[in-house]
Order: sequence, then structure tokens, then C-alpha cells
Amino acid sequence: MSLVKLFACTALALAAGGAVASGLGSATVLSLLTQATVYAIFALGVGLLLRQNAMVSFGHAAFFGAAGYVVGILLQLQAVPAEAAILIAVGGVTLFAFLLGLVVVRVPGIAFGMLTLAVGQMFFLTASRSRGLTGGADGMNVDWPSTLFGIELSALLRPGPLFVLCWSVLVLTLLALALLLRTRFGAITEAIRDNEERARFIGIETLLPRAAVFALSACVASIGGVLSTLNTGFVSPETLHWSVSGVALMMVVVGGTRALWGPALGAIVYFLVKDLLGDHANHWMAIFGAGLIVVIVFAPEGLSGALQRLAAAWRRAGAAGHPLPLTERLP
Amino acid sequence: MFIHLFNGLVYGALLIVMCAGLALIYGLRRVVNFAHGALYMLGAYLGYTIASQTSFWVALVAVPAVMAVLGALLDRFGLRLLQDRDPLAVVLVTFGLLLIVEDFVQTAWGKGNLSVPVPALLNTSVDLFATAVPAYRIAVIAVGAAVAIGLSLWLRHSKLGLFVRASSTDPTTTAMQGVNTDALSAGVVGLGTALAGLAGVVAAPFLALSPSMSSDVLIDSFVVVVIGGLGSLAGAFAAAVVLGLIQALGAVYLPDAAALLPFALMVAVLLWKPAGLAGSRT
Repeated sequence: MSLVKLFACTALALAAGGAVASGLGSATVLSLLTQATVYAIFALGVGLLLRQNAMVSFGHAAFFGAAGYVVGILLQLQAVPAEAAILIAVGGVTLFAFLLGLVVVRVPGIAFGMLTLAVGQMFFLTASRSRGLTGGADGMNVDWPSTLFGIELSALLRPGPLFVLCWSVLVLTLLALALLLRTRFGAITEAIRDNEERARFIGIETLLPRAAVFALSACVASIGGVLSTLNTGFVSPETLHWSVSGVALMMVVVGGTRALWGPALGAIVYFLVKDLLGDHANHWMAIFGAGLIVVIVFAPEGLSGALQRLAAAWRRAGAAGHPLPLTERLP
Repeated sequence: MFIHLFNGLVYGALLIVMCAGLALIYGLRRVVNFAHGALYMLGAYLGYTIASQTSFWVALVAVPAVMAVLGALLDRFGLRLLQDRDPLAVVLVTFGLLLIVEDFVQTAWGKGNLSVPVPALLNTSVDLFATAVPAYRIAVIAVGAAVAIGLSLWLRHSKLGLFVRASSTDPTTTAMQGVNTDALSAGVVGLGTALAGLAGVVAAPFLALSPSMSSDVLIDSFVVVVIGGLGSLAGAFAAAVVLGLIQALGAVYLPDAAALLPFALMVAVLLWKPAGLAGSRT
């Protein structure tokens, strides 16, 4: 994708967010979309790790929730202004993830997934058993000040503006990642992902880039975590629980990771389906479990992969001047 | 002091039974079964129903038998069809299975805590080193030891055990030598699942049945197999006992940090040996 096209898509996506916010009258639908967007950012982080590192994390909820906790604690202590608290939360989680990454990315294959699961659960247990400041298992309220970055919070927290904010953050994060992955860093991490041994042979130092991808994915997840506390005004150990990591992973798989935006699409589909299930939502675990298995077995590239294939077939058909037979258009 | 060490051994024995199943399935199918904890939970709840209708001893035999059939079906209609796929994809399939089984258990038995009474025969206490310990817990340790010793002897000294070891080293060559590796895998996955069911039945009288029992034991089992080295039975057995002891002693002497000790131990081991204590394979 050329740079011009990339920026055009970004502008289009930003405008679409604004149009949805002003066009949709229903506050319920908007808050559902806001929640979906927050999780889309989170899933983007998890998907980035799978896409650039071929590693599956079952513990990214730790970064998602920890960012919320850092903001909550800093605001409760009134140690720093809210703007600084947000930066400290995202920066702190990223730095921590980088140091953790230096250890955990050395663990090969699926053991890495099990390790992240255990580390994530360690965060969950710590938060739910600690007393005092964080409120233990009950969670804590986050006391946002009345203005944030010079904007009245009461105006920002209405459904429309809040959705526009979360959506814009999602789109700009996607843009930043797309630009970053066009650089040498993107090429190096892909080389390491495809074959670490050969990458080492041609003189690439492999540990630091992998830890950096791990940190970057935690950074994106923590941005989602901060927005989540802004959305709900609340943070609890539940946000750190491994099942939240599992849900994010499910979004990644459903959306697919061939396209950078795949996980975000997965998150939005997840929330829409969950909402459509309505009364059957009690059994969402079984339904999504079955859905996950179906997607992996029959469409391993996820929705974004399927869409890209369709688009490519469409373009080929257009260039040739006549439609291809169906068998050639579909994988 | 003694009673804490003893309780640690009891939990270690339970983890041995769990991790033996995980390691066997990993050995043959190269899949870390995320549904293993959910199958353990299913075993415990099935045991609850059977024990309340008939007796605990019937459950002790019937549940592993039912779970073995389930496991063989899982292999035949799941893992075998997916054996050429990316291992990560198969892991996610077992994760989907975990969600389905957990939902089934919550729907069938509810979300409340249930308990299974200790069988009358073992509902006594025995004096050991001047401390009264429940006889049932001694029996749990015996089960763990029996599984560890039985599996080791079976793998080392029987023809089938030889096939299992060969197949987990190189399935293609083993199949060329005339071993039916698909049937072998179905049997071994069945055995592993039966062990998860056995662990569930055995755990029921001393741990409460609740929907969270699945993830608690799954995470501890993962810590054990990562520390021990994936696919290594001996490593897992040693790590299970160490983890049980650390948790029991930690709960008494370092109550604030007890929950974190297993993870700290795991990070320390992985810093030292990224493939685990006994691990060489990935």
C-alpha cells in the first residue's frame, strides 16, 4: 500500500467514525461500539505479537488491566496530573513488558503461551488479594479529574464524543503501526518470525527485536486499558483474568492476522455477535468456543484473510475484463 | 511443619496425575491440551453425580472409563484430523473446547460449590510422626505415586510403552516400522484424558467443586510442565512435588507472597534453562 493510499484510508476511517457518531442516535449502540473499539485496540496488541513474532500470548490481559490500575492508583494518590498518569501507565507497562520480554521470548513455541498465561494469572492473583488502595477483589473506582487534555470530561464522556475518541485512537494506532512496520524494524521482525536461525546467520541480533515486538504489543494493549477505564470509570481484577486474554485471542483468530486491522475487525464482530445473541448470551462461552473451532478449522486466515482474498480475486477479474470462474476466485 | 509438608505432597500427587496426562498427550500429538483442566473438572462433577447415586468407589472406576472414551473420540475426530496443522492452531482448538466444556459443566451442575464426602473406608485419621493425618490424603499420595511408578514402568518395560516412546520421538519412522500410530495416539490421548478424570474424582473429596477449579489446576499444571520441560514425564513428576511443597510451605511461612511463589520459581528456572529442567524438545 502506498503512503498516499495509507493516509487516505486513515482520513476516510476517521471521517467514518465521526459520521457514525453523529448519524447513530442510539446511545446504547454507541456505547456498545465504544466497548468494541476499546477491545479492538487491545486485540490489535495481541494480534501484533502473533503477526510479527508468531507468538500466542494467553496473558495480555495483564497489560490491559495493569495500565488501568496504574492510572487508578496514581489518580487516587493525586501524585501527578491525569495526563501524566496516562503517559506513565502506558510507558511503564511498555517498559515492564520489554524487560519481561527479554526473559519470556527466549522460551520456545507453545511453552511461551503457557508462560504468559502463568505470568498473567500472577497479576490477577496479586490484584485480587491485595488490600487497601486497589480494593482487592472488589476493584477500584478511577477518579478522573474534571478536565483532560484541556477538554471538559463531562462533555467527553457522552456516548458520541467518547466513541469518536476511542475510534480515533484505534485508527491512529493502526496508522502508527503500519508506518512502523514499513521500516527496517518491520522487515527484521518478519525475517526473525519466519526463520530465527537464518536471521541470526545473516547477522541480525534476534532477542532485542522480539522483546521490542512484545513490548510494542503490550503498549497497544495498555492504550486499550487506559481507554477502558475512561469508558467505565472502574478497574477490577476481572480485567486481568486469563479469560479476558482468551477473549482477545479469540478476536484475533476470528479477525485473522494477515491484515494489520484483522484483530480489530474480529473485536467488532465479537461484540456485535454477543449483542445479537441476546438471551442466549448465558451460553456465550460454548457458542464462541464452537465458533473459534469452526474458524480455525475452516478459515484459518480469519475474516480479514477471506476478505483480502475476495478483494484480490475481484481485482484480478476486473483487470482481465471478465469474471473468473468461482473456483479460481475462492481459496 | 510435618503437616504442611504432608499437604504439599498431597497436592503434588494430584498435580502428578494431571501432568502425566498433559505430558502424554503432548508427547504423541505435540499439542498442549488447554482443555485438560476442563476435562479434570468434568471428571470431578461426573464423579459427584455418580458418587451421590451409587458410591465413591464406583465413580473412581466409572469416571476414568468414560473419560477414556471421550479422549479417544477427541483424538479420532479432533487431533488426528488436525495433525498437519500449525500446532498453535490446534492449541486454540483445545482452547475452544475448554470454553465448551466449562459452559456445559456450569449449565449441567450450576455455579455453586458442591462437595463430595470422603468415602467411609478412608474417613479416619492415621498417626504419622506423632501427627494425626486424614487417611484419605494418604490414599491420594498413594494414587499419585502409583500413577508415576506405573507409567514409568509401562513406558520403559512394555512393548506398547516402547511404541509410545518411539512415536513421540519420531512418528513417521515409527509408523514405517509397522506401528499403527493413529490407534496408538487414540489410546494414549484416551489414557491422558482418563488421568484427568481420575484426578478430578480423587480431588473431589478434599477440594470443593466449583467452576473455577478448572483454571486453578490448569495453571498450576502448566507451571509444572514448563518447569519440568514439555513432554518429559520425569521432569514433570519432580516439578509437581516441588511445586506442591512450595505452595504448602509458602501458604504458612510467606502468606502474602504464596500465590506468587510458583511463578517466581518458574521464571527463575526459565532464566536458567529456557527449555525447562529436563526439556530438550520444543
